[in-house]
Amino acid sequence: MLFLLPQMVASGLMLGFVYALVAVGLSLIWGVMDIINFAYGEFLMLGMYSTFWFFSLFRMDPLFSLPIQAMVVFLLGFVVYKLLIKRVVDVPGLSALLATFGLRIFLRNLAQFLWTPDYRFINEAIVADRKIMLFDGMLILGMPQLVAALGSILMTLAVFYFIQKTRMGRAIQATSMDKDAARLMGIDTEKVYSLTFGIAGACVGVAAALLASFYPIYPEAGSIYGLIALVIVALGGFGNIKGALYSGVIIGLTESIGGFFLGAEFKYALIFLIYLVVLQFRPKGLFGW
Amino acid sequence: MKRALLVALIACLLTFMLVGNLFAAQVIKIGAILPLSGSAAATGIKLKYAIEVAQQIINEQFPNSDLPLAKTSGLPNLGGAKVEFVFADHQANPEIAKSEAERLIQNEKVVALIGCYHSSATKPASQEAERFGIPFIAGSSSSAALTERGLKWFFRIAPNDDMESEFFFKYMKYLNETFNAGIKRIAVVYIDNEYGVHAAEMAAKWAKEYAKDGFEIVAQVKYPAAVSNVDTEVQRIKAARPDALFHASYIADTTLFVKKYKELNVLPKVSLSYCGGYQDPQFVINLGKDAEYFAGPNAITSALFAKIPSAKFINDLYFPKSKVDIDGPTIEDFASAMVIADAINQAKSTDPAAIQKVLKEVSFSAPYFVLGKIKFNASGQNELSASVITQVQNGKYESVWPIEASTAKAIPAFAPWNQR
Repeated sequence: MLFLLPQMVASGLMLGFVYALVAVGLSLIWGVMDIINFAYGEFLMLGMYSTFWFFSLFRMDPLFSLPIQAMVVFLLGFVVYKLLIKRVVDVPGLSALLATFGLRIFLRNLAQFLWTPDYRFINEAIVADRKIMLFDGMLILGMPQLVAALGSILMTLAVFYFIQKTRMGRAIQATSMDKDAARLMGIDTEKVYSLTFGIAGACVGVAAALLASFYPIYPEAGSIYGLIALVIVALGGFGNIKGALYSGVIIGLTESIGGFFLGAEFKYALIFLIYLVVLQFRPKGLFGW
Repeated sequence: MKRALLVALIACLLTFMLVGNLFAAQVIKIGAILPLSGSAAATGIKLKYAIEVAQQIINEQFPNSDLPLAKTSGLPNLGGAKVEFVFADHQANPEIAKSEAERLIQNEKVVALIGCYHSSATKPASQEAERFGIPFIAGSSSSAALTERGLKWFFRIAPNDDMESEFFFKYMKYLNETFNAGIKRIAVVYIDNEYGVHAAEMAAKWAKEYAKDGFEIVAQVKYPAAVSNVDTEVQRIKAARPDALFHASYIADTTLFVKKYKELNVLPKVSLSYCGGYQDPQFVINLGKDAEYFAGPNAITSALFAKIPSAKFINDLYFPKSKVDIDGPTIEDFASAMVIADAINQAKSTDPAAIQKVLKEVSFSAPYFVLGKIKFNASGQNELSASVITQVQNGKYESVWPIEASTAKAIPAFAPWNQR
């Protein structure tokens, strides 16, 4: 059995980086605005549909339409903020939570209404059906997964750089730490909020384009990713991008290796177990401050 | 004078009430609980189309068809009463299936229920039907446990997973004897719900029976009902080096598995799927050449239309709605709709006990099935349920076994993934 370990580690890593990218946006929203966006998985799903339509209508490969998807879902995030989140962001109680939960149900049903619940695939993507075989076939790296992992790392680093090094990024950080103080310092927090929602959208837009070349596209496609992203954010610390990256990898490896040895039916149970244990001993997350 | 007026008024009122009741009886409501949203919605919508076709056949006139109730409009024994199927969505959730069953019975006043595709949803929904004492006919739910509960109001059209498992072993034995296929090691891959778990139990039961023929189960891989990827599962399967795969999966997960088999180069000699994802024509549409050689039992396939004209007639009405040919589970749900309407018609009443009596005693005409009839045994299982083993060959579901119903020869090995 141990000879399969390298394959499991590779699969876990590739999966983990994609999880991380999906979680980064959610983490930003949570860290900056203190909102859990339940409709986040549905943003991913809409991004995948957008990728699919760009491919079917304009024969544009997911890798080439990737910047467009980032923009499409950026705009979606921006519009959702302006039309919905803005009205509930500072309202006490569960309003924001319920609003995003309602949005999730709405988007999922809208997708089913518009595009039927059929499963769609992009079978002719450039990376489709290619793989790298190492060590005499002992280690197989699927090209779509490998490209998705590399793309996810790059995008995560780009967001990290933006938040850490740019003026706007620092404004986002400041707002995340103390909104009122940030406003007193002349930061346009309204702009920060809408931009945060947009950047979170861009992250899932990229993830959607990367996933679309090997994952089925259907109205429920985002739900499990949305759920796992919540765990990763809580594990990595709210608003902590590096934390999300590390936690994504931890979750990916746990799922792959733990699932193999304990039984695949327990792989998600294992993830949520880790989550519960971390919450008990370190509620701010493994890498939170 | 006043008294005469009063009597006339009461007489008028009574007449109106009676006439009202007669009009009310013109539409007979039957509940259909299906997965219309959620992970199996793609299949659920097709089942809905099939039941709508049944409703059309029952309520409209098709003089050239030999299907029961087709030549007449409505139910002839109930004065041409129309049948209306009231749809409810269980979202692949057993609890919702239960509450929807209760709602349909109490609020919508349905006289019978059909559904629910997922065995896990059929189980609680049919228990509600039992509690209220109305008939429940499951079309395609295949867990054998459903008909082992001793329920008085439950009936099932499809072969159950106990029968299917035995069928699989007989087919593999045929492949070994005829083609010297060398199939021995079996991996059972199943979803963690009522359907999957029970199918795996039945596979294990029949593996013992057929151990003398050299068959053994080398891996049992259970996976969560909502799954984002199947890397771990496929690695476990690969490690077990199976000759045969038994799949109890739905359309979403089954497609993920096939893609991963290709990526990690898992190449069995035969793959047999319980009633679930493989039977949905979307399987071939989504996977193209990668769907080749997969096999499973099917009540019908387009390759059999030439042999079974009634199935073609149904498909001609079904295809414009769904844009794909009718498949096994779909025609089984169609059958459940036809049989319940037929039973109500033969009972000449909507009284549940009268319908139940007909369901228990009568052999129903079903010219769209290979055996042409449906007859429920004491436990409610259709004892004449017959499927053929179909295999995807050149993008078509060909009937490959039993030989007398075959449209093509079985291929007892998978060609390498990159040579198709």
